[in-house]
Amino acid sequence: MTTEKRRRTKSERTRLREKTVSFIVLFIICFVWVLPLVYMLGTSFKSELDLQLHPDKLFPSAWSEWTLEHYFGFIVREGKIDNMPLWMLNSLWSTFATVILTVIVDLLTAYAVVFLNFKGKHTFMKFLLLWMAVPGVIGTAPSFALYSQIRNSLSISSGIAGYAYVYTWLIVPGITGIFNMLLMRNFFLSIPKDIVDSAKSDGASNMKIFRRVVCPLAKSTIMLVVLFTFTGSWNSLIWPQLLLTGENSYWNTITVALTGYTGGSGWGATGVAMATSVFALIPIVIVFVVTQNKMIDGLASTGIKA
Amino acid sequence: MNKIQNAEQPFLTLQHLEKVYPNGEKAVYDFNLDVKKKEFIVIVGPSGCGKSTTLRMIAGLEDITSGDIFLEGELLNYRPSKDRKMAIVFQSYALYPQMNVFDNIAFPLTINTYPAPVTDKELYPLGELRSVLNDTAPEALFNILSSAFAARLKKKALSEKLATAFRISPEAAAVLAEMYRQYAAGEQQKSDARQESARQAPDADKAETVKQWLAVTNEKIAALTARLEEEGVRVNERFEILDENGKVKTEYRKFTPYEIRTRVYDTAAILDLKPYLDKLPKELSGGQMQRVALGRAIIKNVPIFMMDEPLSNLDAKLRLTMRSEIVKLHNRIDATTIYVTHDQTEAMTMATRIVVMSRGFIQQIGTPEEVYSSPANVFVARFIGSPTMNIFDAQFDRATGELSFGGIKVALGREFTARHDAFYRRKAEELRGLLEGFDSAAREKILKLLSATGESSAEASSSARKSGLRARIKSMLGKRKEAEGPAPEEQVCRTKLERLEECLSDNHTVTVGIRPERIGIEKKRSVRKSAGTFTVKPTVCELLGGEYNVHFDFCGKDMVGRFDARHKISAADEITVSFSPEDLYLFDPITGDVIE
Repeated sequence: MTTEKRRRTKSERTRLREKTVSFIVLFIICFVWVLPLVYMLGTSFKSELDLQLHPDKLFPSAWSEWTLEHYFGFIVREGKIDNMPLWMLNSLWSTFATVILTVIVDLLTAYAVVFLNFKGKHTFMKFLLLWMAVPGVIGTAPSFALYSQIRNSLSISSGIAGYAYVYTWLIVPGITGIFNMLLMRNFFLSIPKDIVDSAKSDGASNMKIFRRVVCPLAKSTIMLVVLFTFTGSWNSLIWPQLLLTGENSYWNTITVALTGYTGGSGWGATGVAMATSVFALIPIVIVFVVTQNKMIDGLASTGIKA
Repeated sequence: MNKIQNAEQPFLTLQHLEKVYPNGEKAVYDFNLDVKKKEFIVIVGPSGCGKSTTLRMIAGLEDITSGDIFLEGELLNYRPSKDRKMAIVFQSYALYPQMNVFDNIAFPLTINTYPAPVTDKELYPLGELRSVLNDTAPEALFNILSSAFAARLKKKALSEKLATAFRISPEAAAVLAEMYRQYAAGEQQKSDARQESARQAPDADKAETVKQWLAVTNEKIAALTARLEEEGVRVNERFEILDENGKVKTEYRKFTPYEIRTRVYDTAAILDLKPYLDKLPKELSGGQMQRVALGRAIIKNVPIFMMDEPLSNLDAKLRLTMRSEIVKLHNRIDATTIYVTHDQTEAMTMATRIVVMSRGFIQQIGTPEEVYSSPANVFVARFIGSPTMNIFDAQFDRATGELSFGGIKVALGREFTARHDAFYRRKAEELRGLLEGFDSAAREKILKLLSATGESSAEASSSARKSGLRARIKSMLGKRKEAEGPAPEEQVCRTKLERLEECLSDNHTVTVGIRPERIGIEKKRSVRKSAGTFTVKPTVCELLGGEYNVHFDFCGKDMVGRFDARHKISAADEITVSFSPEDLYLFDPITGDVIE
């Protein structure tokens, strides 16, 4: 800080003004976004009484009203093992499977599109871009028809086979996102061609270049894709709901289970619903914290501005 | 494989190499070159002349449109670049950003199999151990051993450390460590028994121990050799297994981490990179990155090195040092190098042979002296040499055989007129031959001619035919008329021919070139004007240190001459300029070729 007071230059004033305006706008947006989350978190700690009397408050009205009872019910509820851990597990493993498969498929596709020469490469890219323009919902009905037809013809009813079948249909369509592949491709395009050429003349095959040169470079982009896919898959609702409705309730994913609390036939347990939502958010937060640092690099290197 | 046996075989042969890019642009025309072993070939030309494309074709990074590449008589065209036994260094260095210097240099070794001598797994380490015990002073040996043991490492880490210290394989180091461990335990007991001071064994004792170890090692070696002989396996004195013919047996295999390490250390030592082995490329300076790139190339131990403008990203001073470094390296490792640059100084200083290219055509191939002192055409004359050759137009008088420019007349003699006539007759004949049935080959000849004179690129480029679908449809639909007319190159050919024929009968202009250092410049002292000289005021005098580059106007052209810096000169002085006729290069302005 300078002790002498100095009139700011014009560019400084402009910058200050810009900063102020952008700060205010960002603050409002953040506030609007964060409010429901804060309400969710606060409400999950409210006692039954407070839930009834003060639904308008963000947090429990008094220190004595703070409680953890909604969280206790997760494992054992009313003397029975609760479904919650199962739903969590369902969501977790399917999400992890989706993430891993997506990363592998996207990496391979992007590598092929950028570094290999094959006939119809450009047509292929155009087709993929076109596919991106199609809203995901359009695919839902035909996909479901396909799903049920195959299921009928294979006469898979329930049990392990049914579970595996349903989850295959939950996971596989999830890995075909074009957007993540484009992210990868953009990053690969930014890798100097000389590096790949020199690896080639060093004697590396495509697989070696992929594994030893390109993938290590793409770490931050992979993180970005992991985050995107993880949140996408964890939060996906419509498709899982479509497949899981009417199935054994043990098969539900956490998001599908959550709708049970909010729907018309809700169980009326607001506290539990909020606690479950908080619980369901935990993996997302963890993944975000883990990938966050790398993700910024990824965003910068893929040419996408967040 | 298409193998031709021939004793006179050049090392690397490029035959009629051509490159047409998918957009129909032709980058390289009919590239022919024979490279002998240990040659340093520099391909030089302005940017966009196809030199890098040629290099990349040789390296297998670019598809060859037509033509053949032979390496020692073996057709390389369809070899993927990873199997071509070549190393390439790029302008951008192309280091792997995520690996440190060690891994960068080691990269080629970690992914490929290399021929390596077959050794016996037990015998070879013992042989190494024996040479260590023989060569190292007992004192030093014990120092290293005790300090290594003091670090209390795990067994594997310990032998790794010893292996690095003694430059032996980890297996040998493990044996050594085991011997030391026994010895140390014995010492411990002894000193416990004596229960007092002298922990440190006296030197004589150490030497004795080493001798003991040596004896044990020799015993083991003898036993193992005897066993191997029983099995009918012969080994040489370095314990490499020999085949039936008494030669060292080799196999293609991946190097062990130990072998990779020694090789990387050796390479790093050659290039002074040892202190930087742990660093990432982004922590290095440009020169260091360049050396890493070179290291990665030489560690492969391949017969051919290719460099694509490797010095262009370095600053001027570093470029000078690296230039000589590269030449030294080339000589030391007996490599054959193909080097691409746009800098004629690099070409002149480094090459054993220079290939001058322009617009995809080879203009001249020759040693630096040849290219400098007898350029084949105007382009080469202009391109090679710094400052560039002074080029201006002069009138040639057929009747007298005199050349006149700027008020100076130079007699070239009867004999020159005869040569001149023969030259023009030959050229006219060539063009006439082309005009009969003007085909694509003839078109390329004209394009080559234009590339030498450097003229009418607009005319030539407008004719660059597009082979894309859209262009084809367009030409089918509307532009048929144009396609039916004579190709612009044919037109060019016709006019050139007419002009050549005129030259045979009439006075005409010729292009005259003279090297700056051949221009005699003197400070004007007297008013007396001798024949063949003229007096001008210099426009700019650039002091280079040892000499001046003196610019002056002559015939409306800027000319450069050299002037010794021992005498001062400035733009205010008047200078007397003289030429001597034998220093003049005469080019035909129509074809660009030197008149000979």
